[in-house]
Amino acid sequence: MSRDPQGFLPLHNNWFHILLSLVGADQHGYGIMQEVLERTNGTVRLWPATLYGSLKRLISDGLIEESDERPVAELDDARRRYYRLTRLGRTVLDLECERLQAMVRMVQRRRKQEAY
Amino acid sequence: MNPRLSICLALYRRLASAYPHEFRMLYGEDLDRLGEDAIPEVWRRYGLPGLLRLLADIAIQLPATYLTEIRQDIVYALRTLAKAPGFAAVAVLTLAIGIGMCSVVLSECQSIDGPPPGVRDPEALATFYWHDGSYPYFERYRDQHQVVENATAFLGAVPFAVGFQANRSAHAERFYGHLVSPEYFTTLGVTPAAGRFFSPETEKPGMPPVVVISDRFWRKHLGADPLAVGRALRLNGAPATIVGIGPKGFLGIWPANAAELFVPLTCAGSLAPELSGDPLHAPDREMFSVVFRLAAGVKLPAAEAALDAVTRHLDRENGIERDRDRKGRVVRLVPAGTMMRMSPEQRSFIDTFDVVLWALVLSLVCANLAGLLLARGSQRRREIAIRLSVGASRPRLVRQFLTESVLLSFAGGLAGIGFAYWMGHAISSVGVPSPTPFEYNFQPSLRVLATTLEIALAAGIGFGLAPALASVRTKIGVTLKQGGQTPLRGYRRFGLRNLFVAGQMTASLMLLLVTWFIVAGFLLNTHLDTGFETANLNLISLDPVRDGYSVEAAASLLIGLPDELSRDSGARAVSLADSVPFASMTTFEPKIRVSAPLSGPKGGQGLHSVGRERIGAGYFATLGVPLLGGREFDRRDLQPREAPETKRAPATPAILNQTAARELFGGEWPLGRRIREGELNYTVVGLTRDVRSGPTSTTTDPTIFLPLTTSVFRGNPAQRATILVRGTPGRDTLGAVRAQLASLHPDLTVFNAHTLQEDLNRINSFVQWDAAIYVILGLFALLLASIGLGGVTAYAVVRRRKEIGIRMALGAGSLQVQGLVMREGTVLVLAGSVLGLGGGFILWRMLAAWSDVLARTFPKYADSSLLFLGAPLVLASLAMLACYLPARRATEIDPVSALREE
Repeated sequence: MSRDPQGFLPLHNNWFHILLSLVGADQHGYGIMQEVLERTNGTVRLWPATLYGSLKRLISDGLIEESDERPVAELDDARRRYYRLTRLGRTVLDLECERLQAMVRMVQRRRKQEAY
Repeated sequence: MNPRLSICLALYRRLASAYPHEFRMLYGEDLDRLGEDAIPEVWRRYGLPGLLRLLADIAIQLPATYLTEIRQDIVYALRTLAKAPGFAAVAVLTLAIGIGMCSVVLSECQSIDGPPPGVRDPEALATFYWHDGSYPYFERYRDQHQVVENATAFLGAVPFAVGFQANRSAHAERFYGHLVSPEYFTTLGVTPAAGRFFSPETEKPGMPPVVVISDRFWRKHLGADPLAVGRALRLNGAPATIVGIGPKGFLGIWPANAAELFVPLTCAGSLAPELSGDPLHAPDREMFSVVFRLAAGVKLPAAEAALDAVTRHLDRENGIERDRDRKGRVVRLVPAGTMMRMSPEQRSFIDTFDVVLWALVLSLVCANLAGLLLARGSQRRREIAIRLSVGASRPRLVRQFLTESVLLSFAGGLAGIGFAYWMGHAISSVGVPSPTPFEYNFQPSLRVLATTLEIALAAGIGFGLAPALASVRTKIGVTLKQGGQTPLRGYRRFGLRNLFVAGQMTASLMLLLVTWFIVAGFLLNTHLDTGFETANLNLISLDPVRDGYSVEAAASLLIGLPDELSRDSGARAVSLADSVPFASMTTFEPKIRVSAPLSGPKGGQGLHSVGRERIGAGYFATLGVPLLGGREFDRRDLQPREAPETKRAPATPAILNQTAARELFGGEWPLGRRIREGELNYTVVGLTRDVRSGPTSTTTDPTIFLPLTTSVFRGNPAQRATILVRGTPGRDTLGAVRAQLASLHPDLTVFNAHTLQEDLNRINSFVQWDAAIYVILGLFALLLASIGLGGVTAYAVVRRRKEIGIRMALGAGSLQVQGLVMREGTVLVLAGSVLGLGGGFILWRMLAAWSDVLARTFPKYADSSLLFLGAPLVLASLAMLACYLPARRATEIDPVSALREE
């Protein structure tokens, strides 16, 4: 039974960053952590236990899944697991982005009105 | 590597390894690897604070992860229980009834020997064992500061006629209270809710009367008036100012005999007839209850020894002779911090009895629950094997099982509390007839409820654990291959399950025998044969002294009243008495010591303890008790004498009952014989038939009846009187008498107007309710034992499905299969019966030693094969029925399908 994507909104901040880092490529835990750190210039840090707690919830809610694809043997570490977005996860992320964009537009309109 | 990083990594790994098994299975290695990568990078970026933040994160997430798993367990357990509603209902019902019963027993115990509400540190309070003290003695005891921190003397519960208006002739109501020494509240450690309490500085002799009222009185009768302190009440006709209000729940030191009013002894002389004759300065008037608060660190024996020495010293000073106990002591101290004044023997009996009952019920419930869970666990072997094979850890499965049993216990505990409330309310609403206030409350208190829930949860964990551990010992491969059945295995006679069932049978049978015994004892009382005619006997109590009559006027009014009333009210007979036989479950008639000349060549005097009742003219005719010889008292016997009842005066006439005559004079004819009570002389003028002394006693106490004369009233102004009116069937005699009293003496307060039959009905309903509890207990025991045995047999059938299939394939008939299944049950039933009979017999003897009603049923039933064979037979036949149903199902096993599962 697939869940209603709207039911996940507004998306939890950590979840949003995790989903965003899985767009385009599968990632392992440390990769997600690093990517979030770099993308946010060090302002958002996902600590290990928090990250894996979130990953577990995202898997059980069907927003991400474990990926079977692994990198080439010399770059692979058998202990790592890779994760990828599911269709539901992608939809939820798109909806969240739209929601955020709408909010930003709303704030911009408001500012313009104030400028007059 | 930097040593800080090494330490941080070690800590990180240690914390990561503490994560739940399933989490570790999925993400354990990942988490470890991530830590190894992240720690050096965090150190470079943030230094030591970063490392601390990282460790804090993993430490904080650890309990959160466990909580998530527990939430999953609860959801799963609820789903599983919803799938087996029959099992859940039986388990919850078992627990609810068992825990409800235990709560009622615990509440009963608390309402009798629990601490009185509002009293500080009740363990430090002590009082004399069934013996009161005189005021001058008390004043010396109070000063023994090396053993006694504080002490108080009081009289009570004594009645007060309370008027709420200043007008003297306004209607007064009757309330009970204590006449207290000023140290009363300090000794009990009670602080006022409003106003002030008494102290030796404020309460001086001769001061105008003041009163402290209870919180209940303030709410119920003064409408919680915020300006109540300072208001005046009329107590026994005299005005008294309210100076304080007691704290909530406080009803005196022994609240079973609740006190609503507290009046200081120093100013009560003018309003309390109990204090006439200046007992505060009479060392020989031992009428005050004395309560001590022992000094810190002083134990009861030490205080007893010190007070004993003081008492002997005082006795020597005052020339008082006193009996000594086996230890040579003249006083004995007992703990006083209980709901009612009770002896240590009574207390230990109540405690032991309740604990035994409690333990029996609880062990039954737990054994049953454990049996049910075990049987259920074995049915779920396949599910367990699957969960184990897909990676569930055994601890997780144990936790899952525990969650289920704790959930069941919790639901059972809550239902049990509801049941206990209902039961407590029902019992408490049945009043015990008593001339003085006697209150009890079986409603479970918060403490009882907390204990009950704790026990329920402990039972859930304790008895869920064994089946949980047993179930997860499954061999995955074998179980999955065999489709839920275990391999053929020998019959384990002393297996955990069988021990539970045998124990359960034992406890059930003990409970059944004991409850049967108690119910038989109670039912004997239900058909109360009072020994006299109870129909149309009306009782009215009067206390003219408290309505402002002088002692003389009160005495002549009471003595003349029977004649006045019998003239006009249409009553068949009217008489006067100080008490009514059989009207109360709680009063203890005063005992006096009398001597009668012994017959035979040696002569001499024999000393006897007999009960004394004061009665008016025509008493026995009114009661309908036949005289076996001699005469009743008449008006002449009630006239005042010059020097009443002393050696030189003509002897007072006395009437004996048969038991007293037998005790005092053996087989000789008592009429005309002399009896002495100290200085007083009596002549026996009549002999009456025995009537039972009270509803809880089947025997008759030896009783001497003396005339209720004016001089008795003069000597004891607090003497109350009850008028007995034998009415005519079909007429409202009670109404007529009340109306006549109101017109003749409008200023008299009539109280306790009722018929004797009403008293008896109330006693009966109380007894029946009590019996009902035990009947429910007995039935409950039966039900539990049957459920337990049925469950275990059903489990055995499931377990031996394959074996039965093979036997049937080889040609075994259905009778043989049934016999095979029932044999195991029979062994358990037999073992339980033998143990239960023995245990029941021991409990029985214990009870018989306690109550003479129960003791009387004992010889009646002890040689009765009906009970001793009947009880196990009833139980065994029910148990065998519970075995038979699964046994019959066993014969329906299709050998082909059973073998195909191989």
